[in-house]
Formats: sequence, structure tokens, C-alpha cells
Amino acid sequence: MPPTLSSLDTWTFFLALFIIFLVASTLRLIAILPSRQFRNNPFRRQPAATRVFIVLGSGGHTHEMFYLLRDLDTRKYTHRTYVVSSGDAFSAQRAAEFEKGLEGRERERERESALGNRKIQSEAKGSIINGVEKKREREAARQNERPPCTGPDHYNITTLHRARAIHQSLLTTPFTSILTLLSSFGPLLAAPPLLPNAPPTTPYEAAAQDLPDLIITNGPATAVIVVLASLILKFFDIRGASSRGKCRTVYVESFARVTSLSLSGRLLVKVVDRFVVQWAELEGRGGRAEFWGVLV
Amino acid sequence: MPPLDSKMKMCFVTTGATAPFTGLIESVLQPASIDALRKGGYTHLLIQYGSAKHVMDQHATIALQRMKEELGNEALVIDGFDFDQDSLKAQFKMVQQSNGLIISHAGSGSILETLRHQIPLIVVPNTELLDNHQEDLAKAMERSHYLIRGDVTNLAIAIQKSEKFRIQMAQFPPITSGQHRETKSFAAIMDETMGFLD
Repeated sequence: MPPTLSSLDTWTFFLALFIIFLVASTLRLIAILPSRQFRNNPFRRQPAATRVFIVLGSGGHTHEMFYLLRDLDTRKYTHRTYVVSSGDAFSAQRAAEFEKGLEGRERERERESALGNRKIQSEAKGSIINGVEKKREREAARQNERPPCTGPDHYNITTLHRARAIHQSLLTTPFTSILTLLSSFGPLLAAPPLLPNAPPTTPYEAAAQDLPDLIITNGPATAVIVVLASLILKFFDIRGASSRGKCRTVYVESFARVTSLSLSGRLLVKVVDRFVVQWAELEGRGGRAEFWGVLV
Repeated sequence: MPPLDSKMKMCFVTTGATAPFTGLIESVLQPASIDALRKGGYTHLLIQYGSAKHVMDQHATIALQRMKEELGNEALVIDGFDFDQDSLKAQFKMVQQSNGLIISHAGSGSILETLRHQIPLIVVPNTELLDNHQEDLAKAMERSHYLIRGDVTNLAIAIQKSEKFRIQMAQFPPITSGQHRETKSFAAIMDETMGFLD
């Protein structure tokens, strides 16, 4: 005779259920958390479009972040999402300025290559065959080369609820942090479409409306919450966050941290994919801090 | 701001945007500091005082008064402003062109900006602040010969040192930081994480 349903209503049954749940979530955590040492797959084909999620903080962190990103290649990182805390107008302004700078840099580059083209054309007048050949080569090279992705279509600035306002009591901080966590899922899942409710028409728009490929942060409190949100997405493999290898995380400890990790750093050292420090003394902290010289 | 002429030599003092470092303003306007600057050939002293205008006004008046009494004419022009929207770029440029000096609080933003302009830098950590990692940064940077660490109680010594330091200072960012080790740019670290090989 099979046991009755009421016989399941015992504490041993719930204990067993709880243990199964615990074991399952531990196994899942082990699966999604990064290994001790960073290993990448060098044979991964470069996708046509990628999205980077950049977490900005207060003055100092934002300042350092744009030093880190100074050589950002918009051909590779085609959509940028900048995250600022509510009330931080400075960081939002800096992000817009940075994007303007990227745009200007590309325009300068284009002008220079146009000058080069004209030079080749004038040289080619002497020998027509040679000129045609060269022109065809250039054409082929241009088709192979990815176009720069600058301008307002290729970035967005999103605001998260502030985790802890200055002078906010420590008692209410957990609640506002949960608000920040909840408000971070939307921007992580997708950047807003260019036209409301329009499906993406180019690979760039598709990448922008997908999960970020890379999350970059350097230590503000918001960063801890954004990384936590990305772990939740990976844990449940939401939109393939884990199976498609999305939401890789890079943490860069502030240049101002010479002898000890910051609180954000200590919280994140085990869970981000890469943890980079800028002073040799901090190398190997948490068993995995990498040091590659001063980056800012 | 004063016009740039060939004889100008400017010392620029930044005190930070968030909480003004009043101790630094007072210290740089002390007679000993002013005399050290004048001895170093400085003609202008520019102070970014943030929200501490009253401290600036009070001590600048005393300093100017003293110079007037002792020298008859004002040898050092003292000027100040509260904030600049354009992140102090114009001031850094001017100091760079006048072969000047920057005296700064230990904020990493000001330190990086000054070093990128290749200007001699005296960093004065604010000991009143709770976390002492600013002090750690200043010490580590001094050890690597990027800057001189100053003290609010005796800034004149650091100012005297700065002239010799001008020719000794190390290049920043370092071309190879640390000996015999591989260095990478952050762009390379990003590409590597994504598996991009170009």
C-alpha cells in the first residue's frame, strides 16, 4: 500500500527537501562561479556586435573608469551602457562627454584615411593598372574592417536607485539596496530600443537589446549590487546568461588602493571573472587578484 | 586668471571638490610657505578653495599684508576660485607652461591629472579624514619618485625640495611598471576576457 499524502507532512520530509535544495543550489553556484585562475577560450569567434555594461560611481571612481576606457575600440564594443546612481549628474555628464570624444576620434581617423586615399589616387594617375589594383585592395580591406560604432545610437545611460544616500541610516540601507537590485535587472536584460517596441533590425541593435557580454566596474557600492544581479541571472540561466557565456565580469580595484582591498573589492574578489589590482603588493589577494601594471 | 607671460611661474593649489581641505589653504598661506615660493622664483599663487572662501579670504589678506609691509610691493600675486566646471584642465595647462608646481590633496583624480601633465607635485594627505588609504597612496607614489609628500605643519620644506625634484621625477604612467614583468593595457585585458584575438 502506498503511503498516504498526509505522511509527507513530517519534519523529516521537509528536512530532506531542504537538503536537496541546498545541494542543488550549491552545485549550481559552483558551476557558475569562476575558477581560481582566469582562463579564456582563445578560439572563440569574435561576434559582430557586443554590449558592455559600465558601472560608474562617485567622482573618483568615475574619473578612474574613463582613464581605464581611454583606448576603447568601438568596432569591438559596439554598444555601451553606462550605469549611474540616482542624483549623480556628474557621472552621467562625464559619460556623454566620453562618448563625444570617441565620436571625435573616429571622425579624425576617417579624415586622415580619406587624405591617404586621395594621395593614392593621385599617385595612381601615372600607372592606371597599378592604381586600379590598389583601389580594389583598399575596397576589400574596408569591407573586412568593422565600422566604428559611435554616436547616440550606440550607447545609453541608465540610472539606478542609489544604494545608500550620504547620511542615510544603516538600518534602512538593506531596503534601499534591494530596491537598487530590483532596478538593475531591467537595464541588464536590455538597453531600451531605438524606437519604442521596434524589433532589432541590425546585429548592433540585437546586441544592445540582449544581455551584456562584459560588465566592467571599479568599486562603487552599486557595483556590488550589479554583480549580484548578474549572478542571479546566471544562476537561473535567464535568457541564456550562463549557457551563452554572457555577463562576464571584470573588477578593477582603485589605483588609490595600495595596501588593502576596498570593501567592494573584498566582497567581489571570489565572484567576478577577473579581479585586477594596480599595485604589486595586492597581487594574489583572495587567491586570484591579477596585477598587470598601472592601468589608469 | 592672469595672462601668461614668459616670466610667470605659477603654483596651483587644489583642495578637492567634496570636502575642502582648509588645513592646506592655511598652510600654503603661512609666511614660511610664501617665502619658500618666492625664493623658488614663483610669481603667482592660485588656490582652488572649494567652499572654504572665508578661510581663503582671511589668510590671503594676512599674507598680502605681511608681504606689503616687508617688501614694499607685492612680489607674489595671490588669486583663488571656488570650482571649475571644466575639471581644472585650463589651470593644469597654465602651470605646465609656466614650469610651475602643483600642491594637492591626496585625491587620486588630482594626482593622476597632474602626473599626466608632467608637473612636479606635492601631495598633502588630509590627516583629518577617517580612512588612511590616501596616506598609503601618497607614500607608495613617493617611494616610486612620482611625487613629494608634504605635511600641513611644514610645507616650506617640500616646496624647497620641489626644484631639485623637477629634474628627478619619474615618468608616469610607467612604461614598464615593476621589473621583469609583463604589463598589459586595460583594453588588452578586456579583449582577453572576451576571447578577442586581433
